[in-house]
Amino acid sequence: MKSKSRRPDRRGFMKTALSVGAAMMAPEVIPGSALGKDGAVAPSQRITVGGIGIGNRGTYDLGCFLEQADVQFLAVCDIKETRRTAVKKIADQKYGNSDCDTYRDFHELLARDDIDAVLIATGPNWHATAAMYAARAGKDMYCEKPCTKNIAQSLILKETMQRTGRIFQAGTQRRNLPHFAFACELARTGKLGKLKAVHAHPAGMKTMMSGWMTPEPEPPKEQIDWDRYLGPAAWRPFNRAHLDGFNFEKGGGMTGGGVLEWGSHCVDLCQWAVGADDVVPVEYNPPKDGRLVARYENGVELIIRETGWLPLGSCPVRFEGEDGWVEAGDSGKMVLSSPALLAGRKVEEIGGYPATFHVRDFLDCVKTRSQPKGNAVAACYAHIACHAAGIAIALNRTLKYDRHKNEFIGDEQANRLRSEALREPWRI
Amino acid sequence: MFKTRLFILFALVAAMGMVAAFATAAEDAQTVAEKEAKLIAVLASDAPGAQKAIACKELAIYGSGKAAPELAKLLANEQLASWARIALEAIPAPEADAALRDAVAKLDGRLLIGTINSIGVRRDTKAVDVLAGRLADKNADVASAAAVALGHIGDAAATKVLRAALASASDDVRSAVAEGCILCAEKLMNAGSGKDAAKIYDEVRTAKVAKPRLIEATRGAILARKSAGVPLLIEQIRSPDKAFYYIGLSTARELPGREATEAIAAELANVGEDHAAVLLMVLGDRNDPAAAPAVLKAVKSNSKRIRIAAMGVLGKFADDASVPTLLETAVDDDAELAQAAKATLIGLKGGKVDAAITADLTKAEGKSLLMLIELIGARRIEATAALIKSLDHEDANIRAAALAALGETAAQKYLGVLIARALDPKHGDDAPAAQRALKAAAVRMPDRESCAAELSAALAKASPANKTLLLEILGAVAGEKALATLAAAARGDDDALKDTATRMLGAWMSVDAGPVLLNLAKNTKEEKYQIRALRGYIRLARQFAKTPAQRAEMCNRALDTAQRDDERELVLQVLELYPSIDGLKVAVKATKNDKLKAEATKSALVIAQKLGGKADTKELLAEIGHAAVKLEIVKAEYGAGDRKKDVTAELRKAARDLPLISLPSDNFNSAFGGDPAPGVQKQLRVQYKINGAAGEATFAENAMILLPVPK
Repeated sequence: MKSKSRRPDRRGFMKTALSVGAAMMAPEVIPGSALGKDGAVAPSQRITVGGIGIGNRGTYDLGCFLEQADVQFLAVCDIKETRRTAVKKIADQKYGNSDCDTYRDFHELLARDDIDAVLIATGPNWHATAAMYAARAGKDMYCEKPCTKNIAQSLILKETMQRTGRIFQAGTQRRNLPHFAFACELARTGKLGKLKAVHAHPAGMKTMMSGWMTPEPEPPKEQIDWDRYLGPAAWRPFNRAHLDGFNFEKGGGMTGGGVLEWGSHCVDLCQWAVGADDVVPVEYNPPKDGRLVARYENGVELIIRETGWLPLGSCPVRFEGEDGWVEAGDSGKMVLSSPALLAGRKVEEIGGYPATFHVRDFLDCVKTRSQPKGNAVAACYAHIACHAAGIAIALNRTLKYDRHKNEFIGDEQANRLRSEALREPWRI
Repeated sequence: MFKTRLFILFALVAAMGMVAAFATAAEDAQTVAEKEAKLIAVLASDAPGAQKAIACKELAIYGSGKAAPELAKLLANEQLASWARIALEAIPAPEADAALRDAVAKLDGRLLIGTINSIGVRRDTKAVDVLAGRLADKNADVASAAAVALGHIGDAAATKVLRAALASASDDVRSAVAEGCILCAEKLMNAGSGKDAAKIYDEVRTAKVAKPRLIEATRGAILARKSAGVPLLIEQIRSPDKAFYYIGLSTARELPGREATEAIAAELANVGEDHAAVLLMVLGDRNDPAAAPAVLKAVKSNSKRIRIAAMGVLGKFADDASVPTLLETAVDDDAELAQAAKATLIGLKGGKVDAAITADLTKAEGKSLLMLIELIGARRIEATAALIKSLDHEDANIRAAALAALGETAAQKYLGVLIARALDPKHGDDAPAAQRALKAAAVRMPDRESCAAELSAALAKASPANKTLLLEILGAVAGEKALATLAAAARGDDDALKDTATRMLGAWMSVDAGPVLLNLAKNTKEEKYQIRALRGYIRLARQFAKTPAQRAEMCNRALDTAQRDDERELVLQVLELYPSIDGLKVAVKATKNDKLKAEATKSALVIAQKLGGKADTKELLAEIGHAAVKLEIVKAEYGAGDRKKDVTAELRKAARDLPLISLPSDNFNSAFGGDPAPGVQKQLRVQYKINGAAGEATFAENAMILLPVPK
């Protein structure tokens, strides 16, 4: 499906601009202050972006992209007609035209050679699969979290981004929020003393699965493409209740749940605080009294707990060392064991949101090919830690993990839960 | 019995968002075998698709080769094939491989593609011939899937087949063949056979395939050659094609070795300033000391952009040879350059950097002196004597910088100097800087009690304005002495000091302020300070870790002390936040207060609901007229207008023996598996029976579900 609103002349201009550029001069690289942060950027020098699955969260992300002068949003793909139309309206209003193209099939969007990068904000069911197709199509991507449904997908994500040379930014925007970054740096650089424990808030401690609900009449494909919505998830009949993409088949429909939902943020920050972007805990215990304790090889505990947090907003984390501690949450506030840790700064001046910083980081890296904060390696291992914790919850037993072989030690059932077949014809 | 179990299993997993608890402990082989047998029986039965689907899910954990025959039968079933493959992909038995291989000959279209994909995931080396036969399939998607699966298998036989196919494949399959070849080459490279890998990458690079495959093969060809790949790397960095240029930049960060570093560094002389800036970032990311001379040279470039880029990465190289240049640049008239140099100097590692900075301190003047003092503060260099000398400098900026640096570096024995400067500055303009410095120094003093004692002593002799300042600093320092000093000030007669002291105590960051705050809440004359103190006390009860009994006792005391409903409600919120039997007792006690009865009853029910069906809970609720009830949900609908969904099952699951129902999520849309009417305010309508009496109630979206007891 393809909308008829596209104007070939503008797209043609973009193509012409690119091909002329290729023939006559070296590619544009715009470092430093000219990275699009200041003033207008010529259309030929903008990063062209397409959107895949832009719902509530995606619309927020899209707003962050549209704020950037060096971004040109060209097209949207969604299996829901209402969302395609809504996103097109936002983009067209922004640019004062009617050029934003709409697609139901993301292959068509990915086939466009005038699109540099994609924003993937589908439900979690699709994140990893869409990311892999985008990478193989040569697109850089900003991909919402949770990015993967299991351990195998996490590793394949990392390997695919390396193999294809893509810039991948997970939607872990807290990595680019100054107060979370500050708290992580305190832990990572030893200012809290020898690190003892890092604490992450989950969105619940249960494992969830989406089942097979009572069949309902399937709407026309043009309105809701059910086959595409299911995508890599095992087949089941249409039921409108499944259309809440936020929860549908999160974490492979077997072990995903609360730890993965917020863990992809909070555990990710803990990994950063430990300085372990390419490492994961090697032991996972099932929850007891609302606390799941995992351990890194160096003895630092990763404590995933639901209660006992200071009132600092959602997604809080806490880092404890022998000489001090810090706790931070979405309110943009931090509480520290001593004001000396602030080194003369004020919590208010360090600041928190907006998530635009994270989008900006991605765009800068598209141009310089540096690795953004939420890169594929960091996302891979943070997600593995969440999945492993989810498997410990599902099996209700302590699991030992060999982080070199990426397998559980002496537990075949746990190892079987590291991956799950995708529905035909999808592959990662 | 068996049918009953099946029903329970299905009921457990059929609804969206149900808890998946499929194993509770390590199971012995017999138990697993029994489970498998029952699951296989489901597949062999005429059970509905939903049950077979979930059986497949469980067989992924419990299945063995014995399950393969029944699973194989489902591979031709459009609805259940994907479920069957979930099990077949996971079962570590040769029978699973055989089932998938055998299915290749029987299937076509999407089902065949799915089966081939699963063979690839399992890396079944026995399937090479089967897949090779499918490379020429008339369905290009099937042939492509076979090519990629062969790539995942990646053994010698699969590699040979794919290399041959790269030349012979049709246009619409060749890119997938190339993808398979790249996977094979990667496997060879990782196994140490770089030369063989490079050959395959080169074959892909010269094939007529999609551009992304060319890009990937180029990266592989560079990495597989190691240092011999440097010329190809430089070719990409010089490419006018953005895609190849980009893969050059990213591969330049991956290819190890001095040769690569030096070749990239040499490129700095051949490119414009924009490209040089990016290459400097590449050199920084490589973390190779061999790049240091080139980066240092770039720091002295005539191009401002290159200089800034170079300074941005210089901190990664522990090279203090750059310090003189950076010190010079840090006072450049160009503010952007100066700031970049200063930022680099602050982060620069190397033992001689501090010495180089302090060495110039005695002879420096003007901008240079200011910059050096700022660096001393930022790098935490011990240079107290020189800084104290600068406190009397004629330039106010120098004095302010010296104060700030002392705040960051002065040892405890110099605290008196900062107290004197803060309370009685020689230059009036220095007061704000001196006060900030005193606070910065005070909060990092290792002996907190001694520091607080010195500040408290100064308090006695200070002017009223300075008393406020010192109280605020004592609040930041904290500890026993500071707490005692603030408590005394809060009990005193000076309203301004009471105001400051109660403010600092109200934000105290440890529970030892509890008794002080409670005492103030009870005994202070002014209501505003009573309220502030009590709220501070309640905050301690809410924010800090303590046993349920301790928290409940604090809440109990707060309720006894509170004069206003606002504070009483805050206490009830704390009790709800940390549900415990001790807390429930406090809430039940609060229901005796007529004014608080309704709110306290609600809190008691919320706490009881969160605690589940503990015996103590029921007794306590009976005390307030809420004995356990028999609750039956007749029907429940959620939505707006004609867009409503039946949520009877969800509500029945959450209902217990209380009229209060707590859903798994406070958000109704989440709890009920989706939003039936997006963008519209919705209602929950419940028909129910309590102890046999029928009732009906309607609740606003996300409201508390407390069912009125029918009369």
